[in-house]
Amino acid sequence: MFKLKIADVVFGVHPIYADCKRFCSDFIYAGAEEPEFIIKIEKSDIEREKSACYPEDYPESYLETLALSRIFSSKLLSQYQGMLFHCSSVKYNGNAYLFTAPSGTGKSTHASYWKRLLGDKAVIINDDKPIIRRINGKFYLFGSPWNGKHHIGVNDYAPLKAICVLTRGEQNSIEKINAEKAIPVLLEQTVRPSNAEDMFKLLDLIDAIVKESGLYLLKCNIDPESAKVSFKGMVGEDYET
Amino acid sequence: MKLKEGFILRQIGEKYVVVAVGAAAKNFNGMITLNSTGALLFNLAKENVDEIQFKNALLSEYSGQITEEIALRDAKAFIQKLVEAGLLK
Repeated sequence: MFKLKIADVVFGVHPIYADCKRFCSDFIYAGAEEPEFIIKIEKSDIEREKSACYPEDYPESYLETLALSRIFSSKLLSQYQGMLFHCSSVKYNGNAYLFTAPSGTGKSTHASYWKRLLGDKAVIINDDKPIIRRINGKFYLFGSPWNGKHHIGVNDYAPLKAICVLTRGEQNSIEKINAEKAIPVLLEQTVRPSNAEDMFKLLDLIDAIVKESGLYLLKCNIDPESAKVSFKGMVGEDYET
Repeated sequence: MKLKEGFILRQIGEKYVVVAVGAAAKNFNGMITLNSTGALLFNLAKENVDEIQFKNALLSEYSGQITEEIALRDAKAFIQKLVEAGLLK
């Protein structure tokens, strides 16, 4: 068993494959705190991921990391007011800005444009599945080991400032959107629980997130200039070179 | 008519959303947005209900503000929405 600390939760993992520990290496916890719970991965968990991924044929060691994310996200939701959220997340000036959209829209590309625009002032906390968690009434974005196919991410966190829904457009433009528009996207880009009790928790969590975060819709093309539009819209200032 | 099992209603912001859980989620993984009137009718449909009961619920909710004709039209439209989404059994 090894211990992890993700989203400020210390827990133990009993994997089947050694690769699992390597995959989580940035989040290994070596401190004295006892794990709050232990996740033991079973063969059946891997089989479940296999059928969810079908017809793609992934190695079992990779499917194990997916199983771990599913079990951990369910724990987060039921006990820690947290959820895994499919987005690319950038930390700038101490705050987290999230770009979300269905796969293939260009979240990662857009986050990389922020990085290009802002250089060392911006950090990509996680490029695929970071965690949103409420602690003492305030929302934070935490890094996680599930950081996408390019493995871009760090073990860091920041207060959640704004969520931007990405769509493709001819021209670059950004607008504020209301909760009603953002809710379906948020629900779409997280792991949906199958039991009613956790579903209520998820809906309540999303309700609080949309009340407390800036919500935006960005129409963007693949021009790096699009980052200037989203930066000005969300941060509220012109970027400085 | 009556709602199938496994659909839950929750207020988010100023709207209400309906999502599926358990076995129902296998066939319905989207969400339906309702206003407060929709939510009222949705809750009625947890028990056996017909369009007349929907109509009466609307008439009492909007007492004096709508005609019977409009209430019946809206009741039918709501039933249609539930049918299209596959929520009724």
